[in-house]
Amino acid sequence: MVSCLFSPKACVLETPSGPIRRFCGPDEIVCIRITSSGKEKLKDLSWISKIQVNQPAVLRRAEQIQARRTIKKEWQAAWLLKAVTFIDLTTLSGDDTSSNIQRLCYKAKYPIREDLLKALNMHDKGITTAAVCVYPARVGDAVKALKAVGCNIPVASVATGFPAGQTHLKTRLEEIRLAVEDGATEIDVVINRTLVLTGQWEALYDEIRQFRKACGEAHLKTILATGELGSLTNVYKASMIAMMAGSDFIKTSTGKEIVNATFPVAIVMLRAIRDFFWKTGNKIGFKPAGGIRSAKDSLAWVSLIKEELGDEWLKPELFRIGASTLLSDIERQIYHHVTGRYAAYHDLPMS
Amino acid sequence: MAATTRVGIQEIFTTMEYGPVPESQACALAWLDTQDRLLGHYVNGKWLKPEQRSSVPCHDPVTGENLASCLQAQAEDVATAVEAAKAAFGNWSSLPGALRAQHLTRLAKMIQKHQRLLWTLESLVTGRAVREVRDRDVPLAQQLLQHHAGQAHTQEKALAGWEPVGVVGIILPPTFSFLEMMWRICPALAVGCTVVVLVPPASPTPLLLAQLAGELGCFPGLLNVLSGPASLGPVLASQPGVQKVAFCGAIEEGRALRRTLAGGGAELALALGMESLLLLTDTADVDSAVEGVVDAAWSDRSPGGLRLLVQESVWDETMRRLQARMKQLRSGWGLDGAVDMGARGAAAHDQAQSYVREAQSQGAQVFQAGDVPTDSPFFPPTLVSHLPPAAPCAQGEVPWPLVVASAFRTAKEALAVANGTPRGGSASVWSERLGQALELAYGLHVGTVWINAHGLSDPAVPTGGCKESGSSWHGGPDGFHEYLRPPTTPARLPCLCEELNYDTFGLAVPSSLPAGPETGPSPAPPYGLFVGGRFQAPGSRSSRPIRDPHGSLHGYVAEGGAKDIRGAVEAAHQAAPHWAGQSPAARAALLWALAAALERRTSALALRLERQGVELKAARAEVELSVGRLRASGAPQDQGHIMRAAGLRGPVLRLQEPVGVLAIVCPEEWPLLAFVSLLATALACGNTLVMVPSGAFPVPALEVCQDMVTLFPAGLVNVVTGDRDHLTRCLALHQDVQALWYFGSAQGSQFVEWASAGNLKSVWVNGGCPRAWDQEAEGAGPEFRLRATRTKALWLPMGD
Repeated sequence: MVSCLFSPKACVLETPSGPIRRFCGPDEIVCIRITSSGKEKLKDLSWISKIQVNQPAVLRRAEQIQARRTIKKEWQAAWLLKAVTFIDLTTLSGDDTSSNIQRLCYKAKYPIREDLLKALNMHDKGITTAAVCVYPARVGDAVKALKAVGCNIPVASVATGFPAGQTHLKTRLEEIRLAVEDGATEIDVVINRTLVLTGQWEALYDEIRQFRKACGEAHLKTILATGELGSLTNVYKASMIAMMAGSDFIKTSTGKEIVNATFPVAIVMLRAIRDFFWKTGNKIGFKPAGGIRSAKDSLAWVSLIKEELGDEWLKPELFRIGASTLLSDIERQIYHHVTGRYAAYHDLPMS
Repeated sequence: MAATTRVGIQEIFTTMEYGPVPESQACALAWLDTQDRLLGHYVNGKWLKPEQRSSVPCHDPVTGENLASCLQAQAEDVATAVEAAKAAFGNWSSLPGALRAQHLTRLAKMIQKHQRLLWTLESLVTGRAVREVRDRDVPLAQQLLQHHAGQAHTQEKALAGWEPVGVVGIILPPTFSFLEMMWRICPALAVGCTVVVLVPPASPTPLLLAQLAGELGCFPGLLNVLSGPASLGPVLASQPGVQKVAFCGAIEEGRALRRTLAGGGAELALALGMESLLLLTDTADVDSAVEGVVDAAWSDRSPGGLRLLVQESVWDETMRRLQARMKQLRSGWGLDGAVDMGARGAAAHDQAQSYVREAQSQGAQVFQAGDVPTDSPFFPPTLVSHLPPAAPCAQGEVPWPLVVASAFRTAKEALAVANGTPRGGSASVWSERLGQALELAYGLHVGTVWINAHGLSDPAVPTGGCKESGSSWHGGPDGFHEYLRPPTTPARLPCLCEELNYDTFGLAVPSSLPAGPETGPSPAPPYGLFVGGRFQAPGSRSSRPIRDPHGSLHGYVAEGGAKDIRGAVEAAHQAAPHWAGQSPAARAALLWALAAALERRTSALALRLERQGVELKAARAEVELSVGRLRASGAPQDQGHIMRAAGLRGPVLRLQEPVGVLAIVCPEEWPLLAFVSLLATALACGNTLVMVPSGAFPVPALEVCQDMVTLFPAGLVNVVTGDRDHLTRCLALHQDVQALWYFGSAQGSQFVEWASAGNLKSVWVNGGCPRAWDQEAEGAGPEFRLRATRTKALWLPMGD
């Protein structure tokens, strides 16, 4: 898919250890690649134009991959519990207040009814969702609520003029800084689609670099808003630029576009992640978001990651699912697995 | 038990492995129980379980468990089945198409009602992944029936005058999906034929299908299924009444069957070999192409192995991606819902194993993902590379599930390598440059080309091949023509001559001596063979006398031989690329120019014909008709068309390509008209020709050559006079002649059929029956055009 960007040897970075792996020092990556022939080449992204993605073939693969792996019985229960630990439990509504944020945070800490987990002997595994994800103005509420339930899962905040990204760069950067100040440790930024659609890849690279700097120690998840990029080739290119600019995660969509997380788009992004890993030795995370509502969907997504990237990506540091209603469906399936009955809505606590 | 599963969940939670997803085999076993685990044959709407027959066990290919015993048919069972089919043929073929369509639709519904049984049984017995059978094969079987029902509905109008050939025999290979049978029985039944299928022992699914068809009632003998050894193939083919035999299987078996059935009453349609080809250029989306390789070789939808050609500049990248992908493939029990590849039995396993061993010993590198114990029934996905092109197994067919990869430098070289194998089944081209992709697709000598996809199929799209892959077609309009006889053509009769000695037929040329005074007119036509655009002296440097009906010497023509045929075929090959590349209009212009030239010669030609005992008036009419034929074949014609396939965005092109170098042995009768009629269609379709004119009176053909000297590019048409048997022998045994039309004796026809087994060229013989060349239907019917072209299906998925 990509003709050799840079010699893989020169830019393999040490992966820092720690509970959450940070892909730090994005500067190195680009610079090591470039320095041999001077700083000017830093902006040479012309190889990007050579990338090819064949859409009909990707669609076919997407169709096949959903049917190729069935997961049943104990495996299904275990996989679903695993899926829970990938969830960025999200609320992104105009009517969010501290009370529903509080409820969300409680649900993030206790995603599955305790007795169900006990029945599966999984109650001592510390199963929580991976993070909660809110608007910047609600970060404070979320941090407080999580502290109150004694939970250290990260708070993620969307930023940079979410969901359209059509605000001034200055305010977008400021938004990131404020969210980090409020205690968000993960920032989901949206990219500027204008730059993609007009082919200004350097400018896009520079913007994401600035987002990266503004995040400081916080994780940077870059939302590509793939539903608005026009083609799968653009999706691949934008993924590559986002990773080169130092994103820790690339994320499909805001959940606010007409088309959100789809399998074809995911396949292209995952292939970009794999290419980036092969070239640089850095593992970048992937987060589909929007439209993932059923437990069955979540199994398909987990199996997609397993097939395309392998088992090492099956951990919250490298894979997230952005969702709000998915968790309750998973809980219902677990209920069914444990009890053999289908749950009524009132059987399970709301989030 | 509960406790152990609970621990299991913790473990799975950590490892995130896939678990088994077994599908119940209960309904398949219950069906086998209804037969007391003893399967016979399904003939004439009921089970046939004759006494005193040996039986063969049917095993689960993974566990080796004995599922049932299958009775082996003998010759008399075959005769019973053919009798049943013959009895049913009358009613079935005389039924209006609309009613046949209804019946086929009912069968489609029947399959729908019992689909679980069908897919469970098929997967259990063949070991193929149930997902492929359930999600692809069974729906496709229904689509096939639906599609052909639709065709049956309109066939009488669309193909007025075409008749069903009669009883059709279908012979299937040991490793096949029941779909291979569906592809062939659907068009046969739709046009009004009845069918006898000979399946290898231990394949219950076709029997189940026959039972489903039989339980519809009404036409019991429509579909008869026998299971028996391959040796029964010739027995089935030589049953009186069997008009057509469709064989699909290994190339060598097809060759042997071709030889055995030479001169028989049944026309033979061969679909041979399973290998496919994938051509990966440096502009391709490599990741998607890797998925193409998986579809082509490492899945249970692929029938055979794959030859993979990769452009050198993306070689390393491709190999890395392929190897990474191979690690994700899962082999396992066919009825497990999460496996990619099942087991295909010991024979397929051994074949793959021996190919791998041989390739290794010849210097190839072999990559297999994971460690598979040697006693495992599963053969792992295998990638063979760096096989020297001269190694013996580089020429052989690649078995499932192997991929043999080699590099190429330029697209031109890729085409040369791809066309360098004797097989011509299917291929895919991966390139994001439309111009390059089409250039390669048009240049490949295969039956099906997919661009940026692999292994798609649809009932409306013809599937077939060329070269040693055989020239029979299924699906689409071409599949239909296989089972129809063109208007006014009589049924084929056996022209088998037991005494015919293939080794000596046409071997010797009688020597010619001076034979008295020449009485031919003056000016005499130029002496020599018309080869490479000019008249040349024959290699033998001797001549043969031509006499008029009264026995007096008319003159001498050159005595052509093997070397002249060689030269003529070479000249034709040299002219072929240019002529095939001409537009139909440019070809038509030349044919019209020839027509005008003939018209100017009308009186001279008529006089020549008159000397052969034709009345002057009739002679003039023959010349005029010849001129007319030339003009008619130059008229604009159907040049293929565009089809739509279900589930595909974008068109499928049905290209009508020239066959290549076409050899024609003209009939003795109608020395001018037959020669011109044959030449006209063959040239209009873009072929280059080597022709043997009427032996008794080749003079008019040579006269026509005089005009071709100035009008036609050199080598386009080559005319060799001489001993017809000898020339026929040379042409029939020539490996680089793509098709041979023979109009002559029954013995000659039999020899041509026998000898065509060499390169499996497509042949058209008259079996010794004369044709009425002056009748439009027999002298210039649609059959000519069908035989003078080769179909290629070109899949063009679109999207951005």
